[in-house]
Amino acid sequence: MADGEGAQPPTLLEVEGVWVDYGEHTVLRDVSLTIARGEFACLIGPNGAGKSSLLKSIIGLVKPSRGSIRSHARRIGYVPQQLPLDPGLPLTVAEFLSLKLTRTRWWWGAPRNAEMRRTIAGQLEEIGADHLIDRRLGRLSGGEFQRVLVAYALLNDPDLLLLDEPLTGVDIRGGLSFDGLLHHLHDHRGMTIVMVSHDLHFVEHLSDVVYCINRELCCHGHPKEILRPDNLSKAYGHIPGMVPAKGGSAFIPLDTIR
Amino acid sequence: MEWLIEFFELPQMRYAFMVALIAGPVGGLLGSFITLRGMAFFSDAISHGAMTGVTLGFALTLAQDINDPKLQVVLVLFCVALALLMAWLMEGTTLQTDTIIAFTYTGSVALGIIMIKRLRGSQGLEGALFGDILASSAVDVWIMGALALFTLGFLLMNLRALTLAVVQENLARLEGFNTRRLNYAFVVLVALVIALLLRQLGALLISGLIVVPAAAARVVAGNFRGMLVLSALFGFLGGIIGMLASYYLDTPTGPTIVLSDVLILTLCLIASFLIAARRRKAIRGRVGGGT
Repeated sequence: MADGEGAQPPTLLEVEGVWVDYGEHTVLRDVSLTIARGEFACLIGPNGAGKSSLLKSIIGLVKPSRGSIRSHARRIGYVPQQLPLDPGLPLTVAEFLSLKLTRTRWWWGAPRNAEMRRTIAGQLEEIGADHLIDRRLGRLSGGEFQRVLVAYALLNDPDLLLLDEPLTGVDIRGGLSFDGLLHHLHDHRGMTIVMVSHDLHFVEHLSDVVYCINRELCCHGHPKEILRPDNLSKAYGHIPGMVPAKGGSAFIPLDTIR
Repeated sequence: MEWLIEFFELPQMRYAFMVALIAGPVGGLLGSFITLRGMAFFSDAISHGAMTGVTLGFALTLAQDINDPKLQVVLVLFCVALALLMAWLMEGTTLQTDTIIAFTYTGSVALGIIMIKRLRGSQGLEGALFGDILASSAVDVWIMGALALFTLGFLLMNLRALTLAVVQENLARLEGFNTRRLNYAFVVLVALVIALLLRQLGALLISGLIVVPAAAARVVAGNFRGMLVLSALFGFLGGIIGMLASYYLDTPTGPTIVLSDVLILTLCLIASFLIAARRRKAIRGRVGGGT
């Protein structure tokens, strides 16, 4: 539950001994972590490790079977994992974003409301996507759709932003541009960010702290300490060819994967 | 114009015309959400499975024809139960959606065929299979009116949740909507509309009334709200054109309405191809001019 507006404790999010079960299948086991206000935290780990379930627990989409989650955030923004979108969906970006701004069950007039359109245009401009306002959602590229999802999450002015694999399906140019956007939100808006990602280069570049998860918390700390072969193998198991790069962080030469 | 005056002088034509004018927009509007949610095959399965509902109705109520109100109640209950069963299986099992639809649909049709053979032969079932909109009465017009108001009310009251869920269900849940309840309510609405339109259009053609105007609207609409308006408008136009054409050409009314909808879709597809070709030509012209 989010706390009131007045208090500003240094800790924004406390996850304590959280277990998540889907039927008889346990996806998270006794995970505890603390996110400080203004921190950029990344959750890494193999597929099916429970990272997305942890984010969903924080936002309230999944109910932990044990443990507690305390959020001191005023509002939480959530950028879901990108799922394939119907390319023929005629919903425009302005219509989609107006769904977030309007509070009524009946939304018909919202996209034509001048004030609402100004708010939407302003939000899109901040993230460099104002040219997309009248484009159809189904026609956007992976990177463009990701930006629109970020704009959607930012519309209620959150102080905690949760991103679930935002770089999936985004090319190098889109990835670099997205990296700049996250920098802007973190450095200029002072936003606390928790991001699930498989891209270790971005994780190393962006994060203040990395949590390595494989159903349980394997290790956590500064990216330079965590993104090392010995630590990564705790979560991913042994990966042949993973060697320390300059500065000690881990990377995998492409010729070992081929 | 004489034939038009003559057309409206016949009471069954007036009733059928009103039913078609109401059913068209209802089908189109509901069809927009059915196609966007990838449920076209689902509605097809309900309409075919409804044949078993009719057979069950004949068996339980000893009705002599398909217009019997008691039989209609059994039919509605059967369609709703079948839709809820499919939705529950989709939610609670790891089977693929199309697999669940295929086995519930073929299972219910198979049961229906066995019941037909055992109970009364196929007598009276042609109406359910092919429909007969010209058999509509004043009561049917009222039922259609009530169904239209209910459908419109449901879609409008849940417009934001339904639209968000089309993009991603989690986004709707985060806005506080109970998407599980919404999904079940939606399938009940689809079953209700199909069951109540079965006598008019028949199990083989109902899907056409629901899916085709929505598909046409989706092809030409510039935005989501435009698609909803156009789907209702195309359903309405299909109803008018189909009714008048069937009278003038002396063709069966239900199939002529569905063919009118198909004609509208064809014209929309041609228009969209022409617009896309013109746009490509303009882009090539600009690129060519720039080099």
